[in-house]
Amino acid sequence: MVSPFKIFSFFIYPFIVGSLITGCVSYRVIKAVEGRSVSNIFAEFRVGTTTLQEALEALGAPDQVAELEGKDVLIYQQSLLSNSGLSFGIPLTDIWGPGFDFSAYGELVRYDLVLLSFTPDGILSDIASEKGSRYPYLKTILSDKKGN
Amino acid sequence: MKRFREPLFVLLLVFFLQSCAGWAKNKDYHPFDASGLDKLIPGKSSAAQVTEILGAPSEIVKLSNGNAYIYRRSLSKGTGLWLLIVSFGNYDKHYDQIVIFFDTKNIMTHYGVTLDAHKAAHGLPF
Repeated sequence: MVSPFKIFSFFIYPFIVGSLITGCVSYRVIKAVEGRSVSNIFAEFRVGTTTLQEALEALGAPDQVAELEGKDVLIYQQSLLSNSGLSFGIPLTDIWGPGFDFSAYGELVRYDLVLLSFTPDGILSDIASEKGSRYPYLKTILSDKKGN
Repeated sequence: MKRFREPLFVLLLVFFLQSCAGWAKNKDYHPFDASGLDKLIPGKSSAAQVTEILGAPSEIVKLSNGNAYIYRRSLSKGTGLWLLIVSFGNYDKHYDQIVIFFDTKNIMTHYGVTLDAHKAAHGLPF
C-alpha cells in the first residue's frame, strides 16, 4: 500500500515549486482586437464617380462620421493591440529586502483605417487608407524612428 | 529514461496545479432591431419615423447637408489562460452599427448597416 504521506508529497512539492518559480520568471502575451477588418473593396472606388450609397452598400455602416470643411467624412477602422512582457527576478522582498529583478514590457496598438470623404451631394471626393497591421510587432515597437 | 519519469510527472503536476483559465463577456446593449429598416424608405421616411422604429440613437452627428443618426451596440469576449510562468490573454470586440443619413429637412437619404457583434469570439492571442 502506498503511504498517504508519499501521495501528499506528490501534490505539495509541485505546489511549492510552482509557487517559487512563478515568482521568478513570467512571460505574458495579450492581444485585443476591436472592430471588423476593413475590406479592401474600397480600392475599387473612384473619386468623382462613387456615391455615398455605393460606399455604404459595400462597406456597411462606418465606425465614425464627421463633417470636415464642408465635406462628410466616413471612417472605417479596426484596432489591434499587442502586449507582451517578460519578467525575471528573485522574490526575496519579504525576507531580504529589494532583490534582483529584470522586466521588460511592450504594448503596441496598430490601426487599419479607411477614410472616405464625400461632397454634400454624396460623391466621393477623397480616399485615404492605412494598414497598420502590416507592421510586425517587434520591429515596430523597437523602432527608434521619429514619429514611431 | 526511467529516472526522468518522476521529475517529469512532478513538472506536469506543477503545470496543472499552478494553471487556471478564465472567460469573460461584456455587452454594451442597445435594443434596436435592424429588421425594422425594411419599413424605412430612403427619400420618404422622416427622422420621426426612424426613431419610432429604431428608438433613440446612440449618437447624432451634424453633417454638411443634414445629419446622421448612429445606432451602436457591442459585444466583447475575453479569454485568459495562465500556465505556470506563461500567461495568455485575448480580447475580441465587435459592433452592430446602423448609420442613417438625413437631409436638412430630416428626410432619410441613405443608410449603412453592419451587424458584426455576433462575431466576437473567445480564443488565444495567436
